[in-house]
Amino acid sequence: MEGMDRVAAGELRNVFCFIGAGGHHAGRNFFGGYCCFNDVVIAIRQARRAGRLGRVAILDTDAHHGDGTRDLVVDDPDVLHVCICNVDYISADGTKVDAAAPEPWALDASPDRAYLDLVRKTFPGRARFFHPDLMVWYFGFDTHQGDYGDRVLTSEALLGLADMALDTAHEACRGRLLVVLGGGSRADLATALIPPIIARLAGVSA
Amino acid sequence: MTRDRPLGGATGIFYHPSFSRRSYLTAGRRLADFPDALAPLIESPHVKLFECAPVTDELILLAHDPHMIPEVEADPF
Repeated sequence: MEGMDRVAAGELRNVFCFIGAGGHHAGRNFFGGYCCFNDVVIAIRQARRAGRLGRVAILDTDAHHGDGTRDLVVDDPDVLHVCICNVDYISADGTKVDAAAPEPWALDASPDRAYLDLVRKTFPGRARFFHPDLMVWYFGFDTHQGDYGDRVLTSEALLGLADMALDTAHEACRGRLLVVLGGGSRADLATALIPPIIARLAGVSA
Repeated sequence: MTRDRPLGGATGIFYHPSFSRRSYLTAGRRLADFPDALAPLIESPHVKLFECAPVTDELILLAHDPHMIPEVEADPF
């Protein structure tokens, strides 16, 4: 909550938010998938209540569909919600978008390249057009090789997503970016990925 | 941690030690290496570490129906 407030208020350039439980499978009246309450949507509504925030662009690259987040923002035209998951969908107003991640075993190209190409095709242009005040990247590393949402991605792809999120936030909303940790179970991956992502946010060496 | 740089240019990290004891999955100690793994980063004047505050029921109700609170509290996971 405080992270979004501080970025929205211009007190911080960007933030990385660790979590104790997931959020994107928590909807208005349901929860599951090891998610309890929808941290991102609560933070948006709190910041809006304080008059610090209007439009928000959310990129969800957790392995699974952010059904709870979608439930909470489905009627909110001031939230762009783009989810890379296992279905294709675009709402009539274009603010709610799902894109099916490529099936790794059906690819000629590398899974990393195919995934990054899909995200690049799906999100940055929409975010720039949407003109958000702030951007949220819901970062799950469960898509990594050997984790429970395995998309055969390597760490290079996930760090490539971080670079893309930073570039998009820079172009769309003056760099105002929240990275919110999502799924992923392996400690070795968390330790290998999170510090370099924060280093990128801060523009320092890991 | 002291900072000689305006917060407006800084990166914030929001973390709580409880996240490293039991995080996300029941068997989850995925953040067991934290906050130690952040040590080199938080030496930077461009990075500021914050401890997450507990969320209030009032804030939860901005997004969720009231029955969600006791149901989450009763959830074994």
